[in-house]
Amino acid sequence: MLFNSLTFVVFFLLVLALHNAPLSWTTKKTNLLLASYLFYAAWNPPFVVLLWISTIIDWHVAKRLFAEQAVNRRRFLLAISVVVNLGLLGYFKYGGFLLENFVALSAMLGVTYQPPDWNIVLPVGISFYTFQTMAYSLDVYLKRAKPCTSFLDFSLFVTFFPQLVAGPIVRPSHLLPQFAQPVRATGQQRTWGLALMTIGLFQKIVVADGLLAPVADAAFQSTDLLHPVDAWLGTLAFSGQIFSDFAGYSTTAIGVALTLGFGLGDNFRFPYAAIGFSDFWRRWHISLSTWLRDYLYIPLGGNRKGKLRTYANLMTTMLIGGLWHGASWTFVVWGGLHGAYLAAERWLCAHFGNLRIWNTMGARIVLALLTYFLVNLTWVFFRAQDFPTAWRMLTTMLTLATDGKKVLNTAMIVEATLTISVMLLVHWRLRERRLEAMVSSLPNWLLGTVWGAMLGLIIITQGGSDAFIYFQF
Amino acid sequence: MPSSTSSSSPQRPLPTIPMGRCALLAIAVLGVFLAIWEIHWRSQGAHGSYRNSEGLWAIQRRRIDHGEGADWVFTGSSRTLSDLQLDVWQQESGQRPIQLALEGTSPLRVMEDLAKDSHFTGTLLVGVSPNLFFSGFEFRKDVLDRYPRETPAQWSGQQISMWVEPYLAFYNFDFSLFTVLKRQPWPKRAGVQSRMDVRKLFNLDRDRNTRMWAKLETDVAYQDIAKQVWMDGFVPIAERKPEEIERTLRNRGKQIERAVAATKSLQSKGVEVIFVRHPSEGHYAVSEPMFYPREDTWDVLIEKTGALGIHWQDHPELQGFPLPEWSHMTAAAADRYSHALYHVMKRERQMRVADRL
Repeated sequence: MLFNSLTFVVFFLLVLALHNAPLSWTTKKTNLLLASYLFYAAWNPPFVVLLWISTIIDWHVAKRLFAEQAVNRRRFLLAISVVVNLGLLGYFKYGGFLLENFVALSAMLGVTYQPPDWNIVLPVGISFYTFQTMAYSLDVYLKRAKPCTSFLDFSLFVTFFPQLVAGPIVRPSHLLPQFAQPVRATGQQRTWGLALMTIGLFQKIVVADGLLAPVADAAFQSTDLLHPVDAWLGTLAFSGQIFSDFAGYSTTAIGVALTLGFGLGDNFRFPYAAIGFSDFWRRWHISLSTWLRDYLYIPLGGNRKGKLRTYANLMTTMLIGGLWHGASWTFVVWGGLHGAYLAAERWLCAHFGNLRIWNTMGARIVLALLTYFLVNLTWVFFRAQDFPTAWRMLTTMLTLATDGKKVLNTAMIVEATLTISVMLLVHWRLRERRLEAMVSSLPNWLLGTVWGAMLGLIIITQGGSDAFIYFQF
Repeated sequence: MPSSTSSSSPQRPLPTIPMGRCALLAIAVLGVFLAIWEIHWRSQGAHGSYRNSEGLWAIQRRRIDHGEGADWVFTGSSRTLSDLQLDVWQQESGQRPIQLALEGTSPLRVMEDLAKDSHFTGTLLVGVSPNLFFSGFEFRKDVLDRYPRETPAQWSGQQISMWVEPYLAFYNFDFSLFTVLKRQPWPKRAGVQSRMDVRKLFNLDRDRNTRMWAKLETDVAYQDIAKQVWMDGFVPIAERKPEEIERTLRNRGKQIERAVAATKSLQSKGVEVIFVRHPSEGHYAVSEPMFYPREDTWDVLIEKTGALGIHWQDHPELQGFPLPEWSHMTAAAADRYSHALYHVMKRERQMRVADRL
């Protein structure tokens, strides 16, 4: 079920009504669990079984892990969780990719192999909930946490519908305690939750789908070498689209949870105002970057095993992070570029980080723009459907050759330029602030008017229920 | 060791201003905003009607699987959608047809789909708009793609949407914010090829019975816009590159082969297939024969399929209906045309039976 659909509006109102009805806490949690299964099944009912598999396996594994002291048996138990979760992920998400590469490799070795069609539907959000449940088993294995004592709470943790299919990826220690005691949203939480939902849906429906997606699509779907204006605007538009789409989902998810009385952590903090790549990854998809840091980068040794190993760990983490996004080499290159950026930044900071100039406003703005420029180069690989498209786009963007094809009309140019300018300005102005603090500084009449106008624009845009980009990951 | 049930600060910060008051103001602003938008579109002559959505088409398609597969089914493109009136057909035949025509879209995939569907045993009327039928173009490809894999959420979204569609004039694809913005007179950017989008032409009922929008029937300026859209991007065959012409010819043959295969398959399970060529004029009187001459397309199709074919040029009863923008009939004319077509078809069927005897 998509947030930007009429089905969700009705579903949400029913869930909200039930959650505020005079029922016991256990009944309310059961309602939420059933609602979450319904939310997932509304897309493809049979795939609810995958949620059950993840839930049952990790529930039992964690219990056994906690009781078991023998190192080998503990490793074996953890392996069960990892193999089942990554196995599901691998089968559904990477099976076709692996097969495709195997065929290509065989052909290179002179062996012709024609496999049957790999026509597997990818279960929506599988990358998100497998990582979330794995975090639970890993926490217990690493003795960072005790297993949960309530199967109902644990099932709800795995399945909680606001963040089930596209995050934020929630840690057990953050969400499970909130299920333990009865909570009810205050009036302020409920209305702020609704405001966040409005902001999130506005980002998705109006900004991502309405203003920017047509521009990015026109540029990236072209099979010709583009004019630099078109290549650059197409890429900048995609940078805005992917942010508005994904942050829009996260903001809506946070808002939905808040109306029910639950707090989810931030997933984005105005990332296009980042100064450098460490800063960028503290602001972009925070729940994934912290997951990768805690369960991959640090277990690999982090920065504790020498400089070279640190660079290797950074690169490994980002390559896997890239592959997490999609079964394609273009995503691997995207992750590799970010890994290279992080490694280069680390080296530069170690050698030139103490210069005073970096603290001046001018230098900070230049560094922020440089970061945004380099991030945009990575978005080309993220958005391009194949390498030839990526090379075509990059060639034009970097050589600025003006003999390419023009595909963007005036309306697209105006829309993309204005939207991206406003987005960058907002990110820069809110770089050091929270949205809540900014909202608190506005007069009531202005906030109410803007809120109403955003709702109006959402409705008259009549979004076509386009799926969120991150659903495919 | 911390317990997994120990919290890491789940409380989110909240704004310090009273959000309840802002919410009330927001609702008031929203009400005014939507009222103005609705009044604007009503002042343009629009009123609530069902959206020609993928979900609405899927509902009609499912009727075949749910016990109505022995009835009349219409497929084709926008001319079949607007020129054939279900009420008239029901009066004449005693059955309300299932309307599966899709604007700007070749009906071949629908024919192929129905050929494979064992539930369908009725009569299939296929509208032939040469530019679409013999090119295989599918403007509404999304509709054909969605039906077999419609999710429960999409199904329920359609049901909910249909509760409000008849009451809101602005709730129409043609009046969505970015569609309206896109068609403003923006300055042209040199070197960019762009096509004009088709504007609102029809109103739909719940079962996709479609009638021309009154504004298009009466507003000459609006008719001119529609005509400009039809002519937009037209390049005469003499000015096309040889390889382009060759590609068109090859594709034409391929589409006829597809149609023949689908028709034979339908006929083999007892389905009667009737091809109908609805009237067109103006620009289409030039462009259709230029790219798809009757003797190389329609006549070949009818001969190879052995199906009944009704071409408007062959029957005086099917001529002279007003087509305000050269391609579709006014609502009143569509009523008369449906009646006339039904009787032409009945006569032709009887003649075929007599010929066989």
